[in-house]
Amino acid sequence: MQLLAPTRAEEAIAALLDGPEGRVAVLAGGTDLLLDLDEGKSSPEVLLSLHRLPWRELTWEAERLEIGATLPLAQLEQDPELARRIPGLHEAVGAIGGVALRHQATLGGNLVRASPVSDLIPILLALECEVGLLGSGGERSLPLEQFLLGPRRTALQRGELVRRVWVPALPSAFRWQRVRPANDVSQISVAVAFAPKEERWRIATAGVAPLARRAKAAEAILRGPSPGEEAIAAAGASAAEEAEVRQDRRATDAYRRHLLRTLVLRAIRAVATGVGGQPA
Amino acid sequence: MIRSDARLKARGALEFGVDLDAPGALHGVLIRSPVAHGRLRRVDLDRVRSAPGVVCAIGHAELAELLPSGRGATAHPAFPAAELRYRGEPIAAVAARSLAEARWAAARAHLEIEPLPIFAQIEDVFPDWPGAGEGESEHVNAHVLARQGDVEGAFARADRVVRGKYRTAGIVQMPLEPHACLARVDGETWHVQSSTQSPFGAREDTSAILGIPEEQVVVEASWVGGGFGGKGAGLLEPYALLLAAAARRPVKLQLSYAEEFELSRSTLPSIIWVESALAGDRILGRRVRLLLDTGASLPGRDFATGYAIGFIAGPYRIGAVELEGYAVKTNKPPFGPHRAPFAPQCVFAGESHTDEIARAAGWDPLEFRERTGWREGDETPLGQKVGPFGLQEALERARAIRERWKKELPAGTGLGLAVGFWSTGTSAGGEVLLRLTPSELVVETVEAEIGSGSVIRGLVAVAEEVTGLPREAIRIGRTDTARGPYDAGVYGSRTLGALGNAVGDAGTKLLQELARRIPGRGELRLEVIGGSCVAVRNGSRVTVASLLTDSERATGGVLARGRHYGRGGEILAERVLTGGFYAYTDFTAAVHLAAVSVDRETGQVRVLRYAAIADAGRVVDPPTYRAQVEGGVAMGLGEALTEETLWNASAELQNPGLLDYRVPTILEVPPIEVEVVEGFLGAGPGGAKGGGEPPVIPVPGAVANAVADATGARVRELPLTPERVARALKLL
Ligand SMILES: Cc1cc2nc3c(=O)[nH]c(=O)nc-3n(C[C@H](O)[C@H](O)[C@H](O)COP(=O)(O)OP(=O)(O)OC[C@H]3O[C@@H](n4cnc5c(N)ncnc54)[C@H](O)[C@@H]3O)c2cc1C
Repeated sequence: MQLLAPTRAEEAIAALLDGPEGRVAVLAGGTDLLLDLDEGKSSPEVLLSLHRLPWRELTWEAERLEIGATLPLAQLEQDPELARRIPGLHEAVGAIGGVALRHQATLGGNLVRASPVSDLIPILLALECEVGLLGSGGERSLPLEQFLLGPRRTALQRGELVRRVWVPALPSAFRWQRVRPANDVSQISVAVAFAPKEERWRIATAGVAPLARRAKAAEAILRGPSPGEEAIAAAGASAAEEAEVRQDRRATDAYRRHLLRTLVLRAIRAVATGVGGQPA
Repeated sequence: MIRSDARLKARGALEFGVDLDAPGALHGVLIRSPVAHGRLRRVDLDRVRSAPGVVCAIGHAELAELLPSGRGATAHPAFPAAELRYRGEPIAAVAARSLAEARWAAARAHLEIEPLPIFAQIEDVFPDWPGAGEGESEHVNAHVLARQGDVEGAFARADRVVRGKYRTAGIVQMPLEPHACLARVDGETWHVQSSTQSPFGAREDTSAILGIPEEQVVVEASWVGGGFGGKGAGLLEPYALLLAAAARRPVKLQLSYAEEFELSRSTLPSIIWVESALAGDRILGRRVRLLLDTGASLPGRDFATGYAIGFIAGPYRIGAVELEGYAVKTNKPPFGPHRAPFAPQCVFAGESHTDEIARAAGWDPLEFRERTGWREGDETPLGQKVGPFGLQEALERARAIRERWKKELPAGTGLGLAVGFWSTGTSAGGEVLLRLTPSELVVETVEAEIGSGSVIRGLVAVAEEVTGLPREAIRIGRTDTARGPYDAGVYGSRTLGALGNAVGDAGTKLLQELARRIPGRGELRLEVIGGSCVAVRNGSRVTVASLLTDSERATGGVLARGRHYGRGGEILAERVLTGGFYAYTDFTAAVHLAAVSVDRETGQVRVLRYAAIADAGRVVDPPTYRAQVEGGVAMGLGEALTEETLWNASAELQNPGLLDYRVPTILEVPPIEVEVVEGFLGAGPGGAKGGGEPPVIPVPGAVANAVADATGARVRELPLTPERVARALKLL
C-alpha cells in the first residue's frame, strides 16, 4: 500500500484520477477509515492523505460559517463564536465521541461516511448547509440533502473531494440519547433550526433508516418563533410517526419512537426559548 | 508516594504478555468454530499450510504425534475430536512468520461441520423454573440445594410474602491487555511465558489438557495488564505450546480484542427468584432460586452456583432459608470468574429484594438492614459462625453520609443503599521465599503484578512491617514454576491475605535466623545505611554482609521460606442436600451509597455521587486500598448501567468490541467517597481483609435502589440501560 500526502489540491485530485479506479482511499482523520482497513472492509492500493492540504478554514462570513473539510472537530468546538451563533452545531460537535477522537475526526470524513448514526448530519441538514466539492474542473456546491444518497453513498464523483461546508448561522439545537453518554453511538439524535427570515422551522433526525432525514410533516406544524406547546407536541408526535425506525441491538423501535418524540420536543423548546422566549 | 511500577508503566517500559517476543518467534492464530454447536466432519488444513509464511498448522489429528506417546488422549484435548460446543471454540491453529500471514492463512481452513441444535439461552433449556424431575437434564452442569430450618412453615406462618424475579446480563472482564503468551519446547520441557494471574493454575490446566506431567511444564508470568479473573486459568498456553512443538520454534499467541470477548471465560446471564416470608419486620424465611448460564463449561468446573447463591441469603438474620440453583449448560462459551465471581449479580437481586421489602412496608431501608444485618456470632444459613464483621459500623457511617447528601443534593435525587459481603480466597495456600542480600531484600514469588498493586505494593508493605527495611530496599523477584515456591494465584482477593501472611512468616523466620547470629537479647530489626542492609539489635549495628555464611555469600543471601496455610470455616454438612457449597474464610462487608438523577422522559440515569464504605480489617497501604475501592466502584458502575454481552438465537455474540460493549469512561464515574472501617479483623497479615473484590459487589444493587428511590420504579434486570428504565417508568 502506497501513502500519498500531497500539499496542493491539484496533486490530490490528480492522484485520485491517476490511481487505479476504486483502489485509492482518501484519508482524513482516519477514525472511520482505519477501522475499515483493520476489518478488511477496504483494501486500497493507495492511501491519499489530506493532512498536508491547507483545508482547515474556519471563517465567519456575515450569515454563515465556512468550515474546511479537514478541520479537526475539536478546533471547531473550541471556536469562541460557535456556541452563540450556531448553538446546535456546537452541541452536536461536543457530543461526538470523546475528546481524543474530536482532535482527530473531521467534518469531511463524517459527511462522506454518511453513517445513519452520524451526529453531525442531522444538524447540518436542519441548518441546510451547502457542501463544496472539488474536482479537476473546479469546485461545485450542492445542498447537503442532495449530497447524501444513502449510507456510505454520496454524490461525490470520481476525482472529487469534499473541500468545505458552508453552515448558515441560525438559532438551533441538538439533542441525543445514548446508553453511555460518552463515546457511544446515539440511539436517536435530533436537530432543530429556525430560519427567522422565512419563519421556517427545520427538523432532522438520525438513528432512523436508512439515513438521517428531515421531518418535513412535523416542520409544517410549527409556525412563528414561539409555536406554543400544543404545536410543539403535535410536531414531536408527527416526527415520531413519519420516521422509519429500526430495531437493532442498540434500541427497540418502540424506544426509538419514544425518544424521537421526546427529543424533538426538547430541541424545539430549546430553540423557541432562545429566539422567542419561553414557549407558551 | 509513587508506586514502584508507575514510571515504568507510564513510559511503556515494562514487558507485558503482549510485548513478549523471542528471536525467530512465530505468530500463532487459532482457527475457531463458526457455529455454536456442531459435529466436525472434516478439518482440512492443506490450504492453510500452503499459504505464504506458514510454518505449521495443527488440529486434533496432529495431537498424537506432537504429544508424548499415548498422552494426547486426555479427557478434554486441546482441539475437539468431534463435537463443537460453542462458537469460537478452537478447532485448529496455525503458526506463521507474521501475524498478518497467520490470520490470512487461518481463514483458508476447510471445515465441514454438521450443525446440531443450539441452546443459546437459559430459556431454551428451562423456559421457567424447572418443576419436580425436570431438573434432571443433560443440560445441567450442576445442581445445588441447601436448606436450613422449616422453610415451608415460615411461608405458612408469614403475614406477608415479598417476591421478585431478577435477570442479570453477561459481562466480560475486559482487561486492557488481552491474553498473550510465548511458548517454546526445550527437549522434555514445555516452557511458556504468559500474562497469567496464576502460573501454577496455568501449569495444572496445561498439563491436564496436554497430558504432560506438571513437572515438565514450566510457566512464567509476565507483567499482567489487568486480569479481573479472566486470566486465572490456562487458556492459550496449551495451543501455543503445541504450535511451538510442531514448529520447533518459539510461538507467540495473542488474542485479538474480538477473540478476547468470546474466549476469555466470562460471566453469563442468570435468572434469580427471591421470595421472603415476613412477620412484622422479621424475615421468617427466604427461598432463593438461581438459573445460571454456565455456557459450554465442562461439568465439575462449576463453583459459582453454590458459592454466590449464598450472598442472596446474607448477610441477614433469616429464620429459615432454602437455596437452590442450576448451572445451566448452553452453547455459549464457557463461564468463568470475573472480579467477585457472580456476586454483584446475586447481590443486585438480594439487595433489590431487601429494598423492596423495606419500601413496601414503609421502613427506612438502612434501619431495616441495621435491624436484620449479621453481627459477629450470628449463624449463616449453612451453619457457619459469623466472624468479625464490620457491617453495623459501616451502616452507621453510611447513615452519616446519607444525611449529609440529603442536605447537599437537589430534591428528586435518588439515594440507594446496598450491602455486599464477601469472603476472601485465603483458603488456598501459598509460599514465598525471602532472600536478604547485603544490599536488598528480595521477595521471590511466581506471581506477577496484575495492576492492583497487591504484589509490588502489598507484599512489599508487609515485608517493610516485619523487617523494618524501607520500601526502596525491597524488591519483588519474579520466578517461574520450576524454581519458585508454590502459590495458588492472584485471585479471590487473596494475594495480600495469603502471600502477605507468607511474607510475614518468612520475615519472622529471617529475623530469627539473624538473631541467632548476633548475640544478645531484644528485638532485631533491619535498616539501610549507605546502601547496605544492617541488622540492629540492642543499639548495636551489624551489616548483613558480615553475617553471611560462605555458602550464602556464594548463593546470594540469607533465605527464609514463608508459608500461608489455607484455612476456611466449616459448614454443616446436613444442611447441604445436593451439590457443592463452600465455607467462608473471613467476613467482609461493603456498604455502598449511590446518588442518582433519572431523566423521567428518557430513562437516562446519571450517578451524581457515590460512597463506598469498606470493612478492611486493617489497611496495610492506604493509597493502594483506596485505588482498589475506586476501581471496583467504576467497574461496578459498568455492570450496573451499561455492560452486557448480547447473544442471538445461534449463541453468537453480537457485540464483541468496545463500541457496543460499553465499559464506563471517566465521564461516567462520579466523585467517589471512600471510607474505611478497621478493627474487624480478617485472615490476612495483622487482620487485613482482601480489598480487590468487595468494592465491586454492591454497586449494581446500590444503583438500582437509587433509581427506585428517585422514581418509584423498580428495574429488575441488569444493566439499567435507559431503555430498561424507560420501560420500568412505563414510558413505552
Ligand atoms: C470511538 C469512536 C467514536 C465515534 N463517535 C462518533 C459520534 O459520537 N458521532 C458521530 O457522528 N461519529 C462518531 N464516530 C465516527 C467518526 O469519528 C466520524 O464519522 C468522523 O467525523 C470521520 O472523520 P475522519 O476525518 O476521521 O474520517 P476518515 O476516517 O478519514 O474518513 C471517513 C470516510 O470519508 C472519506 N473522506 C474523508 N474526508 C474526505 C474528503 N475531504 N473528501 C472525500 N472523502 C473523504 C474517507 O475516504 C472515508 O471513506 C466515532 C468514531 C469512533 C472511532
